[in-house]
Amino acid sequence: MSSFDDLGSPIIPQSKGSFHPINQIKEHLLGILSDFGFEEVSGPEIESEEFNFDMLNIKETHPARQMHDTFYVEEKSMLLRTHTSPVQIRSMTHSKPPFAFSSAGKVYRKDDDSTHLPMFHQIEGIYVDKDVNFANLKDLIHKIIYMIFDDSTRIRFRPSYFPFTEPSAEVDILSEDGKWLEILGCGIVNPKVLQNCKIDSEEFSGLAFGLGIERIAMLKFGVTDIREFYKSNLDFLNQFK
Amino acid sequence: MKILYKDLLKFLKQEPSASEISESLYQLGHEHILSNEIFDMEFTPNRGDCLSAMGLARDLNIFFGYKDSLEIYEGKIERFNFDFENFSKEACPKISFLNIVIDEAPLKYKDYLDSYFINTGQKKNNFFADISNYLSYEMGQPSHCFDSTKITSNVTFEKKVCDEKFNTLLGTEINLTEENCVFSMNGKIISLGGILGGADTACSNTTKSAIVEFASFRPENILGKTVKYNINSEAAYKFERGVDIALQEKALRRFIQIVRDHSNVVSIEAQYNEYTLENKRELRLDVDKVNKILGTSISKDEFVEFLISLGFDINKNIEIPSFRNDIETDNDIAEEIARLIGYNKIQSKELQIRNKIKKEKKLDIDDIKEKFTEFGFSEVINLPFVTFKTKDSVVIDNPLDKNKKFLRTSLKESLVNNLLYNERRQNDSIKLFEFSDIYSKDNQITKKTKLAFIASGRVSHDYLNFSKKIDKKFLDKILSQIFVEVPTIEEISRNNLDTKISDKIFYVEVDLHKSQIKLPKKQKEYSRIDKFNTYKSVSEYPSSSRDFSFSISKSHVVNEIISYFDGLSQENLKKVFLFDFYKNEKTNEVKLGYRLVFQSFTKTLSDNEIREHVLKILKPVLRKEGVEIPGFESLL
Repeated sequence: MSSFDDLGSPIIPQSKGSFHPINQIKEHLLGILSDFGFEEVSGPEIESEEFNFDMLNIKETHPARQMHDTFYVEEKSMLLRTHTSPVQIRSMTHSKPPFAFSSAGKVYRKDDDSTHLPMFHQIEGIYVDKDVNFANLKDLIHKIIYMIFDDSTRIRFRPSYFPFTEPSAEVDILSEDGKWLEILGCGIVNPKVLQNCKIDSEEFSGLAFGLGIERIAMLKFGVTDIREFYKSNLDFLNQFK
Repeated sequence: MKILYKDLLKFLKQEPSASEISESLYQLGHEHILSNEIFDMEFTPNRGDCLSAMGLARDLNIFFGYKDSLEIYEGKIERFNFDFENFSKEACPKISFLNIVIDEAPLKYKDYLDSYFINTGQKKNNFFADISNYLSYEMGQPSHCFDSTKITSNVTFEKKVCDEKFNTLLGTEINLTEENCVFSMNGKIISLGGILGGADTACSNTTKSAIVEFASFRPENILGKTVKYNINSEAAYKFERGVDIALQEKALRRFIQIVRDHSNVVSIEAQYNEYTLENKRELRLDVDKVNKILGTSISKDEFVEFLISLGFDINKNIEIPSFRNDIETDNDIAEEIARLIGYNKIQSKELQIRNKIKKEKKLDIDDIKEKFTEFGFSEVINLPFVTFKTKDSVVIDNPLDKNKKFLRTSLKESLVNNLLYNERRQNDSIKLFEFSDIYSKDNQITKKTKLAFIASGRVSHDYLNFSKKIDKKFLDKILSQIFVEVPTIEEISRNNLDTKISDKIFYVEVDLHKSQIKLPKKQKEYSRIDKFNTYKSVSEYPSSSRDFSFSISKSHVVNEIISYFDGLSQENLKKVFLFDFYKNEKTNEVKLGYRLVFQSFTKTLSDNEIREHVLKILKPVLRKEGVEIPGFESLL
């Protein structure tokens, strides 16, 4: 029979805090890309039109360059980057192929509704080498998606349009309820972009892809409202320990 | 854009089902929703040529065969001596006018015209405007109809700087500023070219004589105008994406045909603006290059067959059709070929990535973050837009919210708001941190990497720390493990904050590049998530807590009670924790203090409801031998 003398103090439950779920997914995805050989690079969130648009073959007439889609700052001298691609551009202009870069971070678009926020996170990868082709891109994207989800994931490639890749594709996965969900954009780097970065586009070709981190976080954690991530509600955050 | 299944069929040689078409559209990269035999299309911005039933059917040629089945007026058209001058041919190289007179507008439309309005949800206006809208849907050529009795003088077209009010045919008034493409008469603007016509010269139900303008505005002159003036314009949408310049005469003749289908035509006159197509656009025919881009091995014959099916002419070179403004390079051709093969049918080829880039050893920010989480801090991410300006704030030219037009130069405003938000949700132990780059402007824009944290309330909820409040000593202990020199801990006054809580608030903000960190530099290691927990949604209703203290005189019962509460899960019970543990050696009694926190997803719980929950939870405990809850009755 136990006595009061034997009675120990109750265990103190762990009261650790949590990393933000978006940063957890960001790290997780960067880790996957690192395993494939991608080296992480970073760059500024306030960018020039040259790096955010021109170098990426997004022409002056492209709808994305309008004031209603992009935040401009300091009398239009700079802007808040609308994607993480200018990070890749900055790294490419200082590097000789073969190289494989990944970059992830905050991006800004002039959106604010129940499914879009003015700030969200992207992760991108680019690989430039001799003879990189669309069949290689498909191989890599399949492997990346299998790593994020699982080997049995059903994947669909659809033609799409991005000024910085040609051919371009959007990639869907089949959800449990039988719906195709768009999760990734990719393509063969437009030779004009390579030329802009002083890379010989006759000798080298590249592949590139990008994912929305919130999208992946919502799918992996089952979060249905994107705004939850940015309310800083401890009841929410503490679920991601 | 909505396109009817039966309208697509008119242009196809075969008779595929709507779902067969749907599947092919996906293969070609045309996203859509199919319901009730209507395709609600979402085209990528480079495919202006597909913005009509005819254009979309043309892209489907390889699958179902495209046929040009349009019935057009082939008869004689008199020359229209319209006093018009185009002063801005660079903005619109080609403009044609049709003057058509009828004896009476029809009372009823033929099925094909009626069905367009019924099924796409477009509103009918008047006979001529309705034909114009239908034609744009059918062929992709926008047009604008003036009532010719209201055109009383010569008309000019010009791209010019404007500063005047313009009354649209929709009954709205807009203030035109900066450069616009406009049609004018007697010095007054009568139409906003490629976007919307004016009220003064618009057709009505009684119009019997119309002047119809067919034009080819260059996209850059139309872009952004509809957003600027808050106008919804199907024509502008098409011109922004490129309209086939070779289409005008055929569209004009089709317009006449539709009018003739419905009423008696009294006279037809037209004026064609002289324009010859620019040099043929050609690309080298290089199947090897395309195979190299795609990683495929298609034959030259297949290659040629694919391109011909898309309307390309093949001689020594590839001649690009006038409607494909998006095709410029071998990579564009490769995409066309890949679309027709089907992206999903292209065989993957193993890729081994070679990387010459060397990895550097760096400070891993995650190591610092890890330290904070060990002490119970949770990471937040905030938007950078703030209300208050500091002397070096970066200003946003076009903010979403005019009250938040500055970029934060400190993380403080955000973190204080986060703290108050959690306090309002009955949280009494708040420890948050954020790690973010911030930007400020001196002579130029500079970036700083900041780490900040805020803390207030109880140290934690366990029985050792429940009664302790966060203070400088607690924070000092954490900081001294990370920083060589402990940064300043600021106490934030609650005087100007909207709160009734009195716990002290502590705040620390550090510029990471200026601080010496105790943690080692190393090769970055990415933390991977092993198991993804499914998140449970958070209630928006307030929570209520009830505290109970148990006196226990049998030692084995203590452990039973602790395991009971550890495993407790009940509807509306958000949280339960042991906040007090006391062993009285003299009386051989143990005191356990438990807090039960209740919260519903659907309502604010009433005292009665909470009482029910409490009774249900405590009943099994009270049945145990030697357990008392002093003052239990009064607590209820």
